[in-house]
Amino acid sequence: MKKVWAIILSTAMTISLLAGCGSKENSEPADAGSQQETQEQAESNEVAELDMSQKVKMGVLVSDATTAEALAFRSYYTEYIQNQYNVELVYSDELTDAAGETSAIDTFITNNCKAIISFSSFDRAAQLEQCEDAGVYYAVATGTLTAEEYETYKGYEHYVGAIGPSLDIEFETGYQMAKYYLDQGKTNFAIFGGAIPYYTEMHIYRAAGMLTAMVEAGGEGASYKGATDKDAIIGQIFADGAVETGAIGSINLAGYVGGYDMDDAWFGKCAQMAQTPDLEVILAVGNGSDFFGTAAGEGVKIASVDAYASSYGEAMEAGMLDYLAGKFSASIGPVFIASYRAALGSPVRDGEGNALALSQGYWVATSAEEFNTYFAVDSSVEAPAYTKEMLDTLLTADYEAFEKFVSQYSFEEIQAMK
Amino acid sequence: MKSYQIKKSLMNLTPLFGLAALFALFLLIGSSQDINIGYGLKSIINQSVVVAVVATGAIFIYTLGSFDISLGASVAVSALIGGIVYNRTESILAMLLVCIGIAVFIGLFNSVLASVFNLPVFVTTIAMLSVLNALVLVLIKVNGTGSEIAVPAAAVRPLNNTPFKIMVLAVFFFLSLFIFSFTGVGRMQKFQGGNPICAKLSGISEKKMAVIAFAMSGIGVGLGAFLSIIYAPTLTRNTASSVGMDVIIAIVFGGMPVSGGARSRIYAAVIGAFSMTLLSQIMVMFNLNSGIGQMVKAAIFILVVFLATSDQRSRMLPR
Repeated sequence: MKKVWAIILSTAMTISLLAGCGSKENSEPADAGSQQETQEQAESNEVAELDMSQKVKMGVLVSDATTAEALAFRSYYTEYIQNQYNVELVYSDELTDAAGETSAIDTFITNNCKAIISFSSFDRAAQLEQCEDAGVYYAVATGTLTAEEYETYKGYEHYVGAIGPSLDIEFETGYQMAKYYLDQGKTNFAIFGGAIPYYTEMHIYRAAGMLTAMVEAGGEGASYKGATDKDAIIGQIFADGAVETGAIGSINLAGYVGGYDMDDAWFGKCAQMAQTPDLEVILAVGNGSDFFGTAAGEGVKIASVDAYASSYGEAMEAGMLDYLAGKFSASIGPVFIASYRAALGSPVRDGEGNALALSQGYWVATSAEEFNTYFAVDSSVEAPAYTKEMLDTLLTADYEAFEKFVSQYSFEEIQAMK
Repeated sequence: MKSYQIKKSLMNLTPLFGLAALFALFLLIGSSQDINIGYGLKSIINQSVVVAVVATGAIFIYTLGSFDISLGASVAVSALIGGIVYNRTESILAMLLVCIGIAVFIGLFNSVLASVFNLPVFVTTIAMLSVLNALVLVLIKVNGTGSEIAVPAAAVRPLNNTPFKIMVLAVFFFLSLFIFSFTGVGRMQKFQGGNPICAKLSGISEKKMAVIAFAMSGIGVGLGAFLSIIYAPTLTRNTASSVGMDVIIAIVFGGMPVSGGARSRIYAAVIGAFSMTLLSQIMVMFNLNSGIGQMVKAAIFILVVFLATSDQRSRMLPR
């Protein structure tokens, strides 16, 4: 009897679930007519009046929920933006793969999120296609699409765009970091390659920037494994999945560690690299102070790329961090506005109807005082770097005005805008 | 006596009532909160089907009172090799067969290894977990771009639909149900799991039962790998990383006794997998942050398992 019950009930459940899948609500691909409308809207360059009386639900995809950068971004959205605008921001769990992204987007769509802001990049193309099919707006935060991807998706009706450091900015960030120390006459370096072994582009470009600066400073005939220009160095790192140590002209690259294995062997390698004799500077493509700060020998300078978080201030005060190129938490304000506008029916498009593709850079602090000045603004939930008054100007901005606003990302430029 | 039977039946059906209650709650909240219920149901199936398929196969292992901790890694390896094969042959059928073949091979290797060294199967799966995790990295490094192996989305898109996924789940579920409930193999497995000594004295081969269990589990893992590729064709080192734990939770959530034996239920996997996903969806509807959501889920999990096993604890046979 139990078996029969089991079969009947299981079958009933299966059928009921299947039956429920018949709805096509919100699942139709964008039709040609609505695309045409978007094009016409862009061409007319008029910004529709926004009705902000209804609460808009928006999903936020995150692949990192615990680092200083992730916490700072989340704090800005949940403690500032959500209090200033009539929005509800729903966060995903910490995503670890493309399947997780797909599931999270499904969940957001189920919950009638009108737009999705993505901080997760396991499979951007799949995310974009999924949102387009479901008629939900999609934006990339703190990153950009590759040129090839942008060409493919720029005309999608529900692709809002991407605002974040471009790969050129990432290269420049690494370049400027290395140059800062090369200009001081430092010659013995080590590099922490972060996610280079996983072929994460932004880390490869930052490392390539560092190596390019070393090649330039290394004197005549200096090269990195025979490569002397930006593209060749990037190609070499992509080919190796690592950075090779050795002499770059007169510059000595004495150590390299990559990956985030986080096991005893990996921490041992980190400690060994930090204690390399005569080492002067550790250049990290990500967080350097947490992994090398306590192990580094006396006088070794550590430079990191990450975000403005109190832990970095403490590291700077303690002499465990010397240079920080950090994202400021409010940098994700413009992409929120772009997504919000899209959800309210007024997406930002260029003259040809294409989605946003805007680059943003980092704030660089080279002393505890400088860090504290930046951090005071960055961590404020009353008057952050981008306040509501500043962001409100974007609600009616056209593409060019939006682009100009985002391009003025330095601390001084933002303060001047207030 | 009759009231005891009714109580027992009700207790046995607790996980099903739990699923029905969660489903009702989902509909109730969905109706009151402007939720896209149609899309939600589709999403629940998408998110549950891989775990449901893998867990259904794993029931055979759990029935023996055993435990396989390497299922998630096995899904990942099978999917990666399946993806590599697709990229070389452009044949979906070849990809499916390779996924199943590799998963069955891994399962059988586990059981044979346990037989050769006369170890509990659970111990060999711990070793296999490390081997498979390492293999994932090697496969991605050698055959992918370094960070991923991507099957063209266009190739699998025609299969990425709810009816196909339900069909795969239904076919495997009813095959498993048939073997488990209507053949001697299922009875022998329950006997083996309930009392291995009596089973051995009755002439039931422990090794043969283990081989069958791991073969069935392998088929489930292979189908799960295939469905994983269809759902998310970009495979990384984290692909299916949560499946192993989700399978364990789903099986227990579905009312399966962890000691295996006569009270094992083949349907526990499907009930558990769908219950878990429904619970997650409901947490999102309340916009609970993941920390609070996890705690609420844990509390509900313990409650359901407590109710489902409350008639078993005092009457557990000595083992």
